[in-house]
Amino acid sequence: MPQTISQQLMFAQTLSAILETVINQFLGYNLHGIRALKPLSEKTLTIKLAELPFPLSFTVIDEKIYVSSNDAPNDCCLITSISSLIELKKEQQLTDLIKKDKLDIQGDLKVAQRFADIAQTLDIDWQSELAKRIGDIPAYKLGQLGRKLLKTLNFAGTKIQADASEWLIHQKRLIITAAEMSYFNHDVEDVEQQVSALSQRLDKLTKHISKLS
Amino acid sequence: MSSHDQNHPINNDTSDENTTHFGFQTVEKNEKESKVASVFHSVAQQYDVMNDLMSFGIHRLWKRFTIDASGVRPGNKVLDLAGGTGDLTAKFSKLVGREGKVILADINSSMLNVGRDKLRDLGLVQNIEYVQANAQYLPFEDNTFDIITIAFGLRNVTDKDMALRSMYRVLKPGGRLLVLEFSKPEHELVNKAYDFYSFNILPKIGELVAKDGDSYQYLAESIRMHPDQDTLKTMMDAAGFEQTGFKNLTGGVVALHKGYKF
Repeated sequence: MPQTISQQLMFAQTLSAILETVINQFLGYNLHGIRALKPLSEKTLTIKLAELPFPLSFTVIDEKIYVSSNDAPNDCCLITSISSLIELKKEQQLTDLIKKDKLDIQGDLKVAQRFADIAQTLDIDWQSELAKRIGDIPAYKLGQLGRKLLKTLNFAGTKIQADASEWLIHQKRLIITAAEMSYFNHDVEDVEQQVSALSQRLDKLTKHISKLS
Repeated sequence: MSSHDQNHPINNDTSDENTTHFGFQTVEKNEKESKVASVFHSVAQQYDVMNDLMSFGIHRLWKRFTIDASGVRPGNKVLDLAGGTGDLTAKFSKLVGREGKVILADINSSMLNVGRDKLRDLGLVQNIEYVQANAQYLPFEDNTFDIITIAFGLRNVTDKDMALRSMYRVLKPGGRLLVLEFSKPEHELVNKAYDFYSFNILPKIGELVAKDGDSYQYLAESIRMHPDQDTLKTMMDAAGFEQTGFKNLTGGVVALHKGYKF
């Protein structure tokens, strides 16, 4: 079987190496330590994403997560896509995604849930981590600058969004407001009801005419 | 074409029964072992740093590819032959778990010592054993291992056919051998660039970092004299391995050969 460029350049190995380094680095910074990994010792979660031609297996060994790109035996396997994986953040989406064939779970669901719990409970004090490397004062100043920047960006984002909707709805009238949409829906429902009533009346009249003749 | 190419055509096998290659030189078979040993005694302390420098860190991906392809499972018994400073052993040791075992074997005591110190410093002590062994005469019982790997080691072995037969003997039925080794780049342009790098830059890096340009000149030469992908596959078939095949990595600069014993 001819090898693809991605195989030759070892994209799978590069991605798994990056993920392994980043995940373990983050776990090392986690304020709750690596205790969360204990119940998952020697458990493997495999994720098969539609966008990737290879699976990603996450195995917990000795308080570290090892990532491999082979189809290792696993305790739980999720077959899904990146977009569905993001949707999975909302708990109520699980059944919906399975029903829509956007997610297939094989094996012990608890293993997947525990892996997800670890990701959700990550609590990292970035400022303190930064202080260890560049000192307290520069880290504090950088933290302050970062927060200010984030606030400004958030404000700018909200403002741009508001201005853009104003321009699109009121000035250019390219899209309609939620209220207009609701009125329209209401009118459609009215027409539907009237048509249904008319249809019933016509049925009655047809039956009546056929009796007379 | 570089001067090296003019004088030493790639894989031009000029050895007879009593002689073999040491880089581009033809030497007596019993002489090669000591010559290779002196190269590795010399580079052992700087081996890891040099690997990173010479391959721009890509050797880590080649080794990761090997581990992914090995299909290692908890409880497996693995022989990391010519394991040197223990990169593969470190990862295998985690993956085979407490029930499994990894044997780090190398003919060179300096490399083995560096590997043992490194792994112990990483806290890896439970399931690793260290054996100084010649790949041609493996000191293990028949049908012992689930997996044997030899990464960047086979080209330094004096009698490769004998070593492959020895590996076949100690593999369990169902076991597999993985040979990760420098090979022949698939494209002529890559080949030319690789030649230039190997013979002009590599020895200079060796001189600067490890203060030993000659050893790195030997490494470059030994790569050129190593059998190409198809030849090595044929050698594995001849040793008894089945379902043999290879995958080229980084354009064929390195190839991973795999074969099973059934």
